[in-house]
Amino acid sequence: MTVIELDDIYKTYTESVVPVHAVNGVSVGIDKGEFTAIVGPSGCGKTTLLNMIGGLDAPTKGKIRIEGEDISRLSDKQLVDFRLHNIGFVFQAYNLIPVLTVRENIRFIMELEHRDSKEMQQRVEYLLEKLDMKDKLNVRPKYLSGGQQQRVAVARALASHPKFVLADEPTANLDSHATEVLLELMATMNKEEEMTFIFSTHDQRVMDKARRIITLEDGKVVGDAKTGI
Amino acid sequence: MIVSIAWRNVWRNKVRSLVVIAAIALGLWGGIFSYAFMQGMTGQQTYSSIHTETGHLQLNSPKFLLNYDLHVNVANADEVQKEIATMPGVLGVSSSIQLTSIASTAYASAGTMVTGVDTANFRTVSELDKYLVKGDFLGRGRSNQVLIGQQLAEKLHAGIHSRLVFTLQSYSGEITYSAFKVVGIYKLHNSEFNERMVFVRKSDLQKIIGFPAGSASAINVLLDNDEATAVTEAELKNKFPELQVQSWQELSPMLQLMSGTIDQMSFIFVFIILLALAFGIVNTMLMAVMDRTRELGVLLCIGMNRAKVFRMIVLETIFLSFTGAVVGLLLSIVTVSYFGTRGIDLSLIADGINALGFSSHVYPKLDFGFYPKFAAMVIIISLFSSFFPARRATRLNPAEAVRQE
Ligand SMILES: Nc1ncnc2c1ncn2[C@@H]1O[C@H](COP(=O)(O)OP(=O)(O)O)[C@@H](O)[C@H]1O
Ligand SMILES: [Mg+2]
Repeated sequence: MTVIELDDIYKTYTESVVPVHAVNGVSVGIDKGEFTAIVGPSGCGKTTLLNMIGGLDAPTKGKIRIEGEDISRLSDKQLVDFRLHNIGFVFQAYNLIPVLTVRENIRFIMELEHRDSKEMQQRVEYLLEKLDMKDKLNVRPKYLSGGQQQRVAVARALASHPKFVLADEPTANLDSHATEVLLELMATMNKEEEMTFIFSTHDQRVMDKARRIITLEDGKVVGDAKTGI
Repeated sequence: MIVSIAWRNVWRNKVRSLVVIAAIALGLWGGIFSYAFMQGMTGQQTYSSIHTETGHLQLNSPKFLLNYDLHVNVANADEVQKEIATMPGVLGVSSSIQLTSIASTAYASAGTMVTGVDTANFRTVSELDKYLVKGDFLGRGRSNQVLIGQQLAEKLHAGIHSRLVFTLQSYSGEITYSAFKVVGIYKLHNSEFNERMVFVRKSDLQKIIGFPAGSASAINVLLDNDEATAVTEAELKNKFPELQVQSWQELSPMLQLMSGTIDQMSFIFVFIILLALAFGIVNTMLMAVMDRTRELGVLLCIGMNRAKVFRMIVLETIFLSFTGAVVGLLLSIVTVSYFGTRGIDLSLIADGINALGFSSHVYPKLDFGFYPKFAAMVIIISLFSSFFPARRATRLNPAEAVRQE
C-alpha cells in the first residue's frame, strides 16, 4: 500500500541572488513499512526532499499526499500537529534537548501528546532495553557519546509510534561501529513495529542496509532500486 | 514539563544568568532601600513633629492663628481640657498661652513665640524634655524660668543662667518688660523651631500679662496612635463646635506633602530602574534565543507548537527576573530591618539635613505591604521584556533553523 506519494515535486529557493532549483520534478511512491535510503552527493537535494515529506517545507510545485491527504492544504498549526502525531524526526546531530535527561528526552514527544503516564513509563523501559543504555537513564546528553545520542534520538522519534520515521543523514557524524549499532537499531524497530523508515545518506555502509535505494542527482531521481535484503 | 525545561534553561549559561540576576537584585535593592530610607526620614520627622511640636490635634479659637491675639482665646480651657482627657485614645492634653515677643540680651535680640505651659500637662503631650542639650526642663523652684532652643541661644549668645529680657504685651494692652533666666537649652531637628519657640511656665506668664485664669490660647492633644487622628478630630469638632480643631497634617502641611511626594517619586524611581533592567533582560533573552536557534528549530520540527515555545521563553524570562527579584527583596528586607534598628548616622552632613527638619540619624522603614507591590512590578516588567525574545523564537522557520550548525 502506497502511503507517501510525491507527484512531480519541485522546490526552488529564491532567497539567494540566483534561484536554486534544489528539487526538480521528483515523483516517487513509498509503501508502508519500507526501509528506504535516499542517496546522492552533498547538495543533491536530500534534506530538501525529506523536509517536504515531513511538512517542514512546502514544495514550489507538485503535490505530496500522505495516506491520501494533500499536506499542502494544512495550515501551519495543523502541520505542527501532523508532524507531532505522524512523523518521527532524526537529524544529523544535536537532536536532543540538552537540559533533559535521556529518559525525559525519550518521553518528550509522548508528553506533548499527553499520553498516559504508565504507558510512557513502559515505553521508555522497553526502548532503553533496545538501546542497551539502561544505566544512562538519568544522564544528560552532553555526557553521552555521539553514537549514544543518536540512539536516544531514534528512540525519541519512535517512542510515540509515529507512522513514519524520517532520518536525515543520521550517521554522518558517527564512526563505523556506532553507525552499525544505530542501523541495527533502526532495522530492528522497522521490523518489529512496522514503521516506515526513510533516511538519507551518502555513506556506502548505510546504503548496504537499505531495502530500497532512491538515488538523487541535481534534484532529480536518477535511480530507484530494491536491494533484495 | 515546559515549566521544568524553562527553569533548567535559565541555568544553562550560569554566568550570563547570574549577571542579570545580580543586576535585577541590586537595582531593586537600591530602589527599595532608598525608598525605605526616605520613608524612615519622613516617618521620624512626622513622629518628632507630633511629639514635640503639635501633638495630634490642636484646639483654639477660630482666627487665633492669624495674629495670635491674646483676646482670641479659649475661655473655658480648663473644662475643655478635662473633658478631652476622659475621651478614649487620648494620651495627654495640655493647654498653653501663646504670644509673640522680642527676646533680648546685651548682644542681640530676636523675635520669638513665647509659650506658657503647665509643666506636668505639657509633658503628657510633648517629649521636648528628651531633647535638652544643656540644663534642665522647667522646674518648680524660682519664678521666671525659660527654656530656649539651641539656635536662639547662639543668636543671643545666651547660655544656662543667662538673663533674657522679653518685651511682652499684656492682656490689657500695655507693653511690659520681663526678665527670665535660661534653665535649659533644647535642640530639635527643626532649626526654625529651635530659633523661635521658647517655653515658660504658664503661671509665671499669667501673672506678668494678666491673662485670665482657666483660659488658654491653645489646647494640644496627643493620641495613642496616628491613625485615630481623623476620628478624634471629628469627635472634637462635634463636641466643641465653637472651637477650631486641626490635625497635625493641617498644622504641618509640609509633612503631608513631603511624604506623599516621596511615595510617588520612589515608585517612579524604582520603575525607572526596572525599566532600565528590562533592556538588559530583553538583551539577555534575545541572546539566549539566538544561541539556541537550532535547538528551538528541533523543538518546532518534532511537534512542539509555537504557543508552547512562546510560553517556554516567557517562563524563562519570568524565572530569571523573579530569581533576581527574590534575591533583591531578601536583601532589602534584611538591610532595611538591620538599619531600621541600628539607624544610619548622617552627622557628617547633618547640618543641612537638620535645617530641613530631618533627624541626622535615619532609621529606614518600609511596611511589609510594599514588598509584594515591588514584586508585582518586576513580574509586569519581565512579562513585558519576555515578549520580544519569545516572539522571535516563534518566528523561526524550523527547516532553516535545523540546518544551522
Ligand atoms: N534556504 C536555502 N536557500 C537557498 N538555497 C538552499 C537553501 N537550502 C538549501 N539550499 C540549496 O539547495 C540545494 C539542495 O540542498 P540540500 O537539500 O541541503 O542537499 P543535501 O541535503 O543533499 O546536501 C543545495 O544547493 C543547497 O545549497
Ligand atoms: Mg542534507
